[in-house]
Amino acid sequence: MVMGSSQIWSPWIIDDIHAKAELGRYRIRGFSSFQKVTHFDDLTFLSTGLTRFPLEGYKERCNTRTVIGGLHCENPLVLETPVYISGMSYGALSANAKVALGKAAAMVGSASCTGDGGMLPGERAASDKLIYQVLPSRYGFNPHHLVDAQAIEIVVGQGAKPGTGGMLMGVKVQDDVAEMRDLPLGIDQRSPARHPDWLGPDDLAIKIEQLREATDWRLPVHVKLGACRVDDDVKLAAKAGADAIVIDSMMAGTGASAEVLLEHSGIPTVPAIVMAREALRELGLYGKVSLIASGGIRSGADAAKALALGADAVAIGIGALVALNCNKEIPESNFEEEVGVPAGYCRFCQTGKCPVGIATQDPVLMSRLDPDEGAERVANFINSMTMEMTLLTRSLGKGDVHSLEPEDLAALTIEASAMARVPLVGTNKVFGE
Amino acid sequence: MQLKELAAPGSEITVANPNARHNLGVGIFEDCAIRFAGSVGYYAASLLDGPEVLIEGNAGWAVGDNMMSGKITVTRDAGASAGSTMRGGELFIGGNAGARAGISMKGGSLVIGGNAGFLTGFMMQKGRIIICGDAGEALGDSMYEGAIYVAGNIASLGADATVEEMTEDELIDVLTVLEARGITDKRSFTKVVSAKRFYNYDSLERLEKSAL
Repeated sequence: MVMGSSQIWSPWIIDDIHAKAELGRYRIRGFSSFQKVTHFDDLTFLSTGLTRFPLEGYKERCNTRTVIGGLHCENPLVLETPVYISGMSYGALSANAKVALGKAAAMVGSASCTGDGGMLPGERAASDKLIYQVLPSRYGFNPHHLVDAQAIEIVVGQGAKPGTGGMLMGVKVQDDVAEMRDLPLGIDQRSPARHPDWLGPDDLAIKIEQLREATDWRLPVHVKLGACRVDDDVKLAAKAGADAIVIDSMMAGTGASAEVLLEHSGIPTVPAIVMAREALRELGLYGKVSLIASGGIRSGADAAKALALGADAVAIGIGALVALNCNKEIPESNFEEEVGVPAGYCRFCQTGKCPVGIATQDPVLMSRLDPDEGAERVANFINSMTMEMTLLTRSLGKGDVHSLEPEDLAALTIEASAMARVPLVGTNKVFGE
Repeated sequence: MQLKELAAPGSEITVANPNARHNLGVGIFEDCAIRFAGSVGYYAASLLDGPEVLIEGNAGWAVGDNMMSGKITVTRDAGASAGSTMRGGELFIGGNAGARAGISMKGGSLVIGGNAGFLTGFMMQKGRIIICGDAGEALGDSMYEGAIYVAGNIASLGADATVEEMTEDELIDVLTVLEARGITDKRSFTKVVSAKRFYNYDSLERLEKSAL
């Protein structure tokens, strides 16, 4: 046996121990989990043949309009595509990045979401449909901003680090970021994990009513859950009166998290969607309470599979940032020099040293991201995703992405069959049933 | 919602029979006066910016939640999380406050005529809490900034909370606030602030250090 060939003591693990031996605490990083888990690539669509016929893939009409919420509110969130941009804070991201995301969402008729740092006026102005998050920290929480939003999202947990609050290292807690959050300059912010004014699902029901009162029962209220005990959590959130449930899996991204939480908590997106769907079905609320999936959605294929498994919409985080140039060498950047790894390997959002101006508060780095050009790239990416979804949907003989269903899928592995509850290819067997 | 429709600058509204219902007087941004002639439930007078509210009785959880500005008076006791995340204005509890009073406060004044429950001032960020009676366990746990003044006994301090000497100007400020509320028999206080030991991690990785 030579060093480096061990599965248990891989060079990565050895390096990790060396780092901790120097550091004396858990390690922190951005991006998402690197665990190998069952994902959408383990599923394939069963397109049409002789038993059913397709729609013209490039031409015939295929609906992508998506309505989120409406069960308990007057004005559901209506999106032109089932893809919207997930909550990422101003603070974790630069102002240019937030504005670009808001603008991109508006360009494709979709929504963007505030994050754990309050509403940035620039994003509000750029985004036609802004989802206002209510987080345990309530950093920058302002009832005037609440009533100015198009939807409300109560964050119970996030997939990248369920059971904990947000994190923002001191290098990013500067100037107006610190001011908006009412925090001392330069502190390593570790946000609260529990909400300040409610604890359990019975209190949550009253909290939801409070937010509805404040917004005259107009806006949909989403509840975002880190995917862990999905069955119970989804039922409790639905019973508490949510219009929509966002299920955020262990594949979800973050600007900063203890690595141990990123890698060792939560469940993957595929089983999370299926469990959430079944929980709603058991309550008779499937199709009434909207289901939004997030975590590791990278393409129209991923999004289409999420919809086929039971989601009404998907939210993207890292995908949108990559479209903004995350991990891409640009003329102004030098990844090796600036963050010590080549483009494609950067996961150091927490340091604020983002070479492409996205995850930074440094004005020089931020100037490397032009919000208008960035918005165009993100809009192009979402449009590409939407077109990929409609192409797949038509090939399945359907004219609406919301008609996708589990029967359109087969699993490529036994694990995927068990988690997605669809048959393994080449068999009629759903494993685990 | 009806209350919100009645609220106009300068208007005076009385809710004759609040019946301890939840979510009474939520999300009102007008400079008006609202009187609840009886006890109220959870989230009473919450998400407010401007109104002056009088609650003649007890209040449930999170009275004055996230107040931006204005004045709220509760004549008797308040449940848990009184003044949670408030950012401005003044919340006065005539009686006792439950657990987690002033949790994640970001500004303004929370004044408690009686005792305060455990974890009062938990993760408080700014503003001040004045407690005329005793404070429960873990007072000021993980607080960032702001100050807590206690006239009575403190069961225990929370993580990273510490006692600091009070200046004369501060004492005058506190006495003035209490006097306006008709409390004149409290003359000395223990001041609790953050020890600031949790502000930053003790160590950083090389790349994190180089960013500073």
